[in-house]
Amino acid sequence: MLALLLFILVGFLIVGCSSNKEVDNTSSEGNDTTSENSNSSESTDPGTVELIWISQQNDERTQPVIDAFEEANPNIKIKKETYPFRQLFETIEVKLGSKTPDVDIIDVDVPLVANYAVKGYLEPLDNYLDPDIKSKWIDSAVEAGSFQGQLVAPPINTSSQVLYYNKTIFEEKGIAPPPNDIEQRWTWDQVVETAQKLTSDNNGDGQTDVFGFSFEQISRPYQILPLPQGLGADQFDEKGIVTDGYTNSALSVEAGQFYYDLYNTWNVSPKIPVEQAKEYFTTGKIAMFIGGTWNVGDFAEADLDYGFAPHPYFEGGEVVTPTGSWHLGVSKNSTKKEAAAKFVEFFTAGDGAKIWFESANNLPAHVDILNSIEEDPKFAEFPANINVLAAYEAANTAVPRPMTPGYLEWESLVNKAYEDIKNGSDPKDALDTAIQQIDRQLKKYESVVK
Amino acid sequence: MVKQKHVPYLFLLPSLILILVFKIYPIFDGLKESLFAPTFLAGENLFVGFDNYRMLLDDPVFWNSIKVTLYLNVIINPLQIILAFLLAILLNKKIKGIGLFRAIHFIPIAVSMPIALIMWNVMLNPEQGVINTILVAMGFEPQPFLGSKDQAMWVIIMIATWKGVGYWAIFLLAGLQEVPKNLYEAASIDGANKWQQFKNITFQLMKRPLAFVAVADTVANFLLFAPMYVLTKGGPENSTNVLMNESFNSAFIYSDMGRAMAINIVILIILLIVILIEFRFLRAKH
Repeated sequence: MLALLLFILVGFLIVGCSSNKEVDNTSSEGNDTTSENSNSSESTDPGTVELIWISQQNDERTQPVIDAFEEANPNIKIKKETYPFRQLFETIEVKLGSKTPDVDIIDVDVPLVANYAVKGYLEPLDNYLDPDIKSKWIDSAVEAGSFQGQLVAPPINTSSQVLYYNKTIFEEKGIAPPPNDIEQRWTWDQVVETAQKLTSDNNGDGQTDVFGFSFEQISRPYQILPLPQGLGADQFDEKGIVTDGYTNSALSVEAGQFYYDLYNTWNVSPKIPVEQAKEYFTTGKIAMFIGGTWNVGDFAEADLDYGFAPHPYFEGGEVVTPTGSWHLGVSKNSTKKEAAAKFVEFFTAGDGAKIWFESANNLPAHVDILNSIEEDPKFAEFPANINVLAAYEAANTAVPRPMTPGYLEWESLVNKAYEDIKNGSDPKDALDTAIQQIDRQLKKYESVVK
Repeated sequence: MVKQKHVPYLFLLPSLILILVFKIYPIFDGLKESLFAPTFLAGENLFVGFDNYRMLLDDPVFWNSIKVTLYLNVIINPLQIILAFLLAILLNKKIKGIGLFRAIHFIPIAVSMPIALIMWNVMLNPEQGVINTILVAMGFEPQPFLGSKDQAMWVIIMIATWKGVGYWAIFLLAGLQEVPKNLYEAASIDGANKWQQFKNITFQLMKRPLAFVAVADTVANFLLFAPMYVLTKGGPENSTNVLMNESFNSAFIYSDMGRAMAINIVILIILLIVILIEFRFLRAKH
């Protein structure tokens, strides 16, 4: 009997581990650093303030910005904690959800602005920043970074996607690549037709060696959304909390069918984990690749002979390109909001914005830098001219992701649905299953969207 | 002067306090939290009674997770325990170089779970992964593995078993080495064959270590989460969406801690029932 009790206790022990939220809350280490930090910022001696920034940006690319900021503000130090894309969102949920004062600045994926704002993660920045600052960024980015009229997350950049292609593969097959000319933008039919010619099994083992086409962000809504949007399908009702009849509408299913066919009918796209897509393109296993302007540096490093062309569209439909990118927010529970706002201002509107553009080659949301792309002759040459194309797309064809407080739920579940479609599930079934789960989860936001 | 009979309890006190603070308290806190729902903006959570549980009951995703969790455990626990027992018996053989075999079987245990999972994911890549290349070379069709709703759970069972069997075998090996040799001698004098010796001596004396391994393995597999998190995210078509994964998603993606805690409490209850049943079957008679 005693043994029985003991084993039940063991059971409790191990089950107890699963609710480790408590451990996070009560971690004494966390409390210690907090009291230290708040002491140092309260005292009259300015001392050194250390800001903790939770980010998914590449360390090498952010370092020049951090260095320049620390040089201009010797009493503020930036400590960056870097996470992979999907883990960033979970980390933010765990840390900001527990109201820890240990986080000062977070990367905000722009469609999550409303979600983070309703959950009380973000400090409105109007009191910390110059009121005129909003004119420094393009209007769409300011609007996307605001919640209920207040700026909560200024943009570090926006984004656009192009159709990259591997010149070597096209030359070997004697096929003309897509032209870099918005007047001759390829349709999806042209992309698929060419991809079928480019897909090949070179050693006859029954496994494909070169795939005609792939997305960089396989199954992620950011890159997949132009498919339904290009066919004219909305993903939400007006309030942004109902997806039934939208995310699974006939047009959305048609887009899902196209995605299904890429992998399962035409077999021109590889069924690989999203993390491996870029590697496949840089090593010559993918001929055409929809990707962001940020890839230019890595492609040069990989010695890839590549070209680019405008994002494809469905014949008879709208031209739609992805847009929106990372913004920076200040945590509501930070004890060093002023210093944090200073860094956010430096990065998004100050000298940091230019340094960031040079280091990461993301399409700027800063008006002056954006204008310089049109004027500066160095952007006429390959590959810097990719920014001219991206700037055109951002101004003319970009469609933002849905505005909804439930974007995190929607994104994760639609991502899963598209993964299933990629793996061979019926598109209608996959999207129907997803919307049932999404609408169930989004009910809780009814009170905040009235 | 502390009375003699109190001394053992004093020695137990530090661990009991730690168990109370870090294990028992969180369970009650979880229970409490499972009765609340988020309200947003206002910042306070709303007391909703048993609504979270009621909503779970008519949620097909939850029922699917129950089904998937039970399916996984009905297969993986007997499989791991039988394989671990067989491995322990083999490792207990007195042959030349047994030390080397004991070292080899320990390797999968020493690899960290996420690293092992990522390596398996690379090997199981449906497009020219090592395993598919081997299959094709042997004349088989390439397989989708984690991309197929019929294969994904079996792949996870295979990886978890590869990782787990060696660990559980250690406990059983320790148990086997405790079995007195003279019992076998006596049995063989009485004319018992190998099978009778195994059934009446080895198995009987192994009931205690087996009970421990059965319970600990069941707990570990009910809470198995890393493979689903790293490899499948619960897909394809929710075929690997175990309760732990659904609970994690509720807490950290759907911002619904109440639902997550309600699921955790359900896992706890199922687990306690299963463990009680296991004890009934593996109770040592001596």
